[in-house]
Amino acid sequence: MTERALVSRTTMEVVTALATAAIGAAVMWGSIEHDIGWGDSGPAAGYFPFRIGVLIVLGSFVNLAVALWRRGTQDVFLTAEQAKRVLAFGLPILAFVVLSLFLGLYVGAILYLSAVMVFQGGYRLLPSLTLGVAVAVAMRLIFPMWFKVPLLTGPLEAWLGLY
Amino acid sequence: MKAAFALAAIAALGVGSASAQEWKPTKPVEFVGAAGPGGGTDIFARNVQAIIQKYNLVDQPILVSNKGGGSGAEAFVYVKAAAGDPHKLVFGTSNLYTLPMVAKVAFKHTDFVPVAAMVFDEFILWNKGDSPYDDYKSYTAAAKAANGTFKMAGALSKDTDQTLTRYIEKDTGAKFIYIPYKSGGEASVQLSGGHAHSHVNNPSESVGHWKAGQVKPLCVFSKERMPQGPKVTETKGWSDIPTCKEQGSGIEEYKMPRTVALPPGSPPAAAEFWANVLKKVSETPEWKDYLEKTSQTGRFMAGAELKAFIDEDEKRTRKVYEEEGWLVN
Amino acid sequence: MENVGSLFHGFAVALTWYHVALMLVGVLLGILVGVLPGLGAPNGVTILMPLTFTMDPVSAIILLTSMYWGALFGGSTTSILFNIPGEPSSVATTFDGHPMAKQGLAVEALSFAFLSAGFGALVGVAVITVLSGWVTEFALKFSSPEYFAVYFLAFASFVGLAGGNPVKTVVSILLGFAFATVGMDTVSGSLRLTFGFDELLRGISFLIVVIGLFGIGELLLTMEEGLKFEGVKAKVNLSGVLRTLTRLPRYWIALIRGSLVGVWMGITPGGPTAASFMSYGLAKRFSRRRGNFGKGEPEGVIAPETADHGAGTAAMLPMLALGIPGSATAAVMLGGLMIWGLNPGPMLFLERPDFVWGLIASMYLGNVVAVVLVLATVPLFAAILRIPFAIIGPLIVVVCFIGAWTVGASKPDLWLALIFGLVGYVFKKLDYPVAPLVLALVIGDKAEDAFRQSMLMSQGSLTIFFSNPLVGTITVLAILLLAWPLFSMLFGRVRAGRAEKMRLAE
Repeated sequence: MTERALVSRTTMEVVTALATAAIGAAVMWGSIEHDIGWGDSGPAAGYFPFRIGVLIVLGSFVNLAVALWRRGTQDVFLTAEQAKRVLAFGLPILAFVVLSLFLGLYVGAILYLSAVMVFQGGYRLLPSLTLGVAVAVAMRLIFPMWFKVPLLTGPLEAWLGLY
Repeated sequence: MKAAFALAAIAALGVGSASAQEWKPTKPVEFVGAAGPGGGTDIFARNVQAIIQKYNLVDQPILVSNKGGGSGAEAFVYVKAAAGDPHKLVFGTSNLYTLPMVAKVAFKHTDFVPVAAMVFDEFILWNKGDSPYDDYKSYTAAAKAANGTFKMAGALSKDTDQTLTRYIEKDTGAKFIYIPYKSGGEASVQLSGGHAHSHVNNPSESVGHWKAGQVKPLCVFSKERMPQGPKVTETKGWSDIPTCKEQGSGIEEYKMPRTVALPPGSPPAAAEFWANVLKKVSETPEWKDYLEKTSQTGRFMAGAELKAFIDEDEKRTRKVYEEEGWLVN
Repeated sequence: MENVGSLFHGFAVALTWYHVALMLVGVLLGILVGVLPGLGAPNGVTILMPLTFTMDPVSAIILLTSMYWGALFGGSTTSILFNIPGEPSSVATTFDGHPMAKQGLAVEALSFAFLSAGFGALVGVAVITVLSGWVTEFALKFSSPEYFAVYFLAFASFVGLAGGNPVKTVVSILLGFAFATVGMDTVSGSLRLTFGFDELLRGISFLIVVIGLFGIGELLLTMEEGLKFEGVKAKVNLSGVLRTLTRLPRYWIALIRGSLVGVWMGITPGGPTAASFMSYGLAKRFSRRRGNFGKGEPEGVIAPETADHGAGTAAMLPMLALGIPGSATAAVMLGGLMIWGLNPGPMLFLERPDFVWGLIASMYLGNVVAVVLVLATVPLFAAILRIPFAIIGPLIVVVCFIGAWTVGASKPDLWLALIFGLVGYVFKKLDYPVAPLVLALVIGDKAEDAFRQSMLMSQGSLTIFFSNPLVGTITVLAILLLAWPLFSMLFGRVRAGRAEKMRLAE
């Protein structure tokens, strides 16, 4: 681990422990709207969730303490090089999700697939687009046509009168 | 495809003359079942769809989807979100108006435009096959004497089965331990295995176990006996089951409607269109067949009659829920 | 041996060209829906159902069950190749199956999976044949306390062996349990932990969690390491399949243990998912090669696959005899039975022996057909890994999100899948084990329901879990297994030394 750390392991451990603690707190908060006791007929609706929440918070604090106690060690979570690779793959996924939410999964898939092929795979535009469209056609055949499972559609499909 | 087209032309004529104000589906229609696949609601929706397609009563494709999450709340929320779009119909039971009373859900039954109630499912009081009790009175008397140790299995919590259990308790003074399972089928197996004393399943949920003699019906919560049909066991058929009223129960009748509703803000013409289609469905031989196979009672209600029924049933149920402290809305 | 006679009669019913053709069609369609994470056996059943109305019930159920076997096999394919379990029951297959694929052993991993799955299924159906009368009676003995004990046993045999940081393991398990409580609570009829979001009404879907944690998380990790799939180097041909076949008998202990666990969990209400986890857990605990688990150990593929299919087949019997569907697919099939005018229940065996035994015979044949067909597809699927990553990577992403969408046709689910992808990536890097989280998510709500139903029955007394020999035995066994890590810590040093010697000897 000689590479320069972009994110240290300690930082990430702390962030994660805080996140799990927050979930635990949310679970506790959500369960107190129910009875959290052990009544005549056994545990009430909130009994288990509340205790699970408490234990998650306690466990998270232990993890937090351990992480802070070990902060001297210079372990790396993510180097700059790794981050670049993960983002190069992860950001297009994010873009795909956002695009799909507005334009539907078909258009999203065509744009995402062909863009990744062109910019990361170094393929030319035409074959990339062809493959993207082929995948969209396959999606359409398999999901709504054969198996009657409609996929998320957008304005383009509405304009074409497809569903 | 061609044959279907010809049929469509004939069917279109019929539908066209029935409704004065024209509304017709202009895109594919979705039937949303407020229960998981395989249950009574799912089978109801799929039968309606199959019959509509067979007779081509609607000239758009129809998809059935299941949204059983949150005891069906998922389906109602989904259809509510499609406000003003009469291409989505929600298929449910009385949970259309009982669910919003007991669970914190973001819909009220008045949000929806009710289209029709098509069937009523019966409730029967069942005992284990070798139980010493043969009628309503002797069983509930024994339950009363047992001082609240008799177990009543049922499907779900704060739903039809538990409500009926409360009615029985009020009627007889007996106390039951109500144990909720995920489905009536599970409750029936628990009774067959001797892990409960009784349940109040619908006929179709327990017919298999009845045939095998693992459970036996005591009485049906209906004003009249069920219609004559083929024998289920060697000696008995559905019509041989006495009504609970005959056996001296104070409960007149307890039935569960299977309902169809449209999203909020759907035009009245659309509700009329669907009511007409469903009315036609309910007149086919396939529908009779479905009713017979599932031992349900066919009774078509729409329009003002349906509204009055829902209002009345809602009020009655609300009163019980209030007494039990189940109301959240 | 009356059953054997009935079985031969069943073969006479099932073994016609028409039925074998139906099996082929069913299995192929099943593989297709099983491979695509957005589709599963229920979708296949749904589209086949209308076709079957004109068939006689035996042909119809043969078509549907063959589709079901195909889907079970297809589900393991994506687990191994892309770390995406198509069904809950193939999660445990990813633990060693995907590492094998990454090492270029995709052909071996797939072949091991399919062969052992076929073995498990055949054991399951053999048990059904011999014990059909007894199984039904045994299943009726199960009530809520026994259900809880079975889930507890499955859980106890899987956890406690993660080996990593115990606090992180506990947090991970608890997160799984917390996610499992979201949605409608069967026992109280109230909505829990939905925080007013309509999207949470139906709970947190298993499929979305595994698509994120396993599928997308794994892709991010792969990218970070700068690796492409190494499958490129692998030889892809049928002889690899045959070589694997000859190596299979070496793993006879894992095969037998897996089948027993599978049949046990299929007859009891544990089900295939719990069976596969339990079998993996037991294999990891008691295998000689336990140190190699999680790094691409064939036994880690064989154990869960055998149990998964053993349970899947054995569970058909309680379903027919009691009318209780063990899964969404089974529920749709049960609905079909009723439409064909058959009533699932104990009388089915007496009233329609031709149907029941025809079905059981078709389970032997269907599984053999399925194994042969899927083995033939191995080179095809393994070759997918040779496609350049710039194409196959994004394709996997698209398939993952289609899967996330099909769960509930809800837009927030896409975000949820993305978030779980990030969580999977971070958790893996920080040594939070994700498998116990998934197991807790799958059995958490069922276990809680069973526990609270038991408490209703006993009016709050825990002694109900020891109230009869059956539940008492399972509970004690579970407690022993849970405490096992303590025992093995005591004897750990002795055993470790011996294992080391063995490794040197090999």
